[in-house]
Amino acid sequence: MIAIASVTKTFDSGKGRRHLALADISLDIAAGEFVSILGPSGCGKSTLLYIVGGFIPPSTGAVLVKGARVSGPSPDRGPVFQEFALFPWKTVLGNVMYGLERQGVRRAQATARARELIAMVHLGGYESFYPKELSGGMKQRVAIARTLAYGPSILLMDEPFGSLDAHTRTRLQNDLLEIWERDRKTVMFVTHSVEEAVFLSDRIVMMSRSPGRVKDVIAIDLPRPRSRADLLLDRRFQDYVVNIERLMEEPAPEPRR
Amino acid sequence: MTRTGPAPALAAAIACAALFVAWEIGARLARIDGLPPASQALAQVPAILGDPEALLNIGASLRRMVVGFALGVAVAVPVGLTMGRSRHVAAFFNPLLMVIYPVPKAALMPVIMLWLGVGDASKTLVIFLGVTLPVIYHSYQGSRAVEQKMLWSAAAMGMTAPARLVRIVLPAALPDILAGCRVGLVLALITMVTSEMIARQTGVGNILFNSLDMAQYDTVYATIIIIGALGFALDAAFEWLRGRLVAWAEPAHPILAGTT
Repeated sequence: MIAIASVTKTFDSGKGRRHLALADISLDIAAGEFVSILGPSGCGKSTLLYIVGGFIPPSTGAVLVKGARVSGPSPDRGPVFQEFALFPWKTVLGNVMYGLERQGVRRAQATARARELIAMVHLGGYESFYPKELSGGMKQRVAIARTLAYGPSILLMDEPFGSLDAHTRTRLQNDLLEIWERDRKTVMFVTHSVEEAVFLSDRIVMMSRSPGRVKDVIAIDLPRPRSRADLLLDRRFQDYVVNIERLMEEPAPEPRR
Repeated sequence: MTRTGPAPALAAAIACAALFVAWEIGARLARIDGLPPASQALAQVPAILGDPEALLNIGASLRRMVVGFALGVAVAVPVGLTMGRSRHVAAFFNPLLMVIYPVPKAALMPVIMLWLGVGDASKTLVIFLGVTLPVIYHSYQGSRAVEQKMLWSAAAMGMTAPARLVRIVLPAALPDILAGCRVGLVLALITMVTSEMIARQTGVGNILFNSLDMAQYDTVYATIIIIGALGFALDAAFEWLRGRLVAWAEPAHPILAGTT
């Protein structure tokens, strides 16, 4: 589904200096797979996601989606950002409908579909609210519904629950898994939380920083559908979390200047 | 941040009353020839507003102001928004604006009169110039501040860059654009009067400076009161409209937060 082939990314860090953010990343993600990209801040995991989204180009290498080279954003790859990035001048309904209207879906049909999605993310009754009237968790629910609305086969999630409180985060994780169980979209999920990655993923891609590279890929062999309450008591879940945390603590290689 | 009850209106009324009282007392104590007491100036206001010729003058001023303001906004918003989204466009316009900004626009009036004569065209052009810069500047700031992720979200929906400028950048920057328009509106009023000071023919400025020449100081001050009231009314109307248009916005901008 997604083939990342020898992608590197260098940024100009001013005064003619160049910063290598991603060094030779190669990774394949299968259709319907839930893959987390896990790493410390500054390891380039979000940059990698933006390259897959087509929002920024790689410096070398390429990303292929369904065999075609990514050259820009597409409604087939729907992003969900930590910052929500809702359109503040649109209501909840207006936000969720936006992508549908862009695709030329009839208004009545778009409204019906948007209402369905709003109900699915448990925001029924909030259709006419503006983003500023919503809490962070609610905003992220709207953002997820807005992205699901235009029917991408790939979800690109950039630390979507990173700015939420622990309780809200847990609820959204559960809801996300529930939605994912239904239609099994391919998900690329960037996070720095080990627990979150283990709970959600089929596979975890661990990255190290300076420059960002793939340190390890770990398959999470836990039964689905998963429930957080059950998993927390599950020895295997605990082992995954502890082992991955240990791996993360290993000293990073000396940064190259 | 919402207005609660009539408190601000009451405060404004008290402030105006205090100003007039101070003026009245000051003028009576100082006994300067060119400074009539407030009561005499105020007494002239109905006379001016009842005079058909004066009303025609005021109407002519307002017409030029509205045309100049509308043209200014129509040109400035696209320029500012494009500058905010393209480093090249910003690099092109920025030095130009830096040079033009500090020039008092009314100072260009004599030159413009050589090109366009003393009629409406010159005055409207000067008002246009006065309005454009603050609106460009605020639109530019607003456009630059539009969240990258919001534009990416729109791009993922299949929106092209020109469509994003109109459908995402424009509404997202609207609070800033309107803040610029508010400044532009006040500047339009100021340049309107000063342009009429230089090219006298019609207008509020014409009444003001003709009566000054004839030492009719009551009329001079009455005209100033009318201009002040006009500015106040225009600003209040604009603020009402702005409140409706950007009620969705978070009060992230200090100037907006203070005024809504």
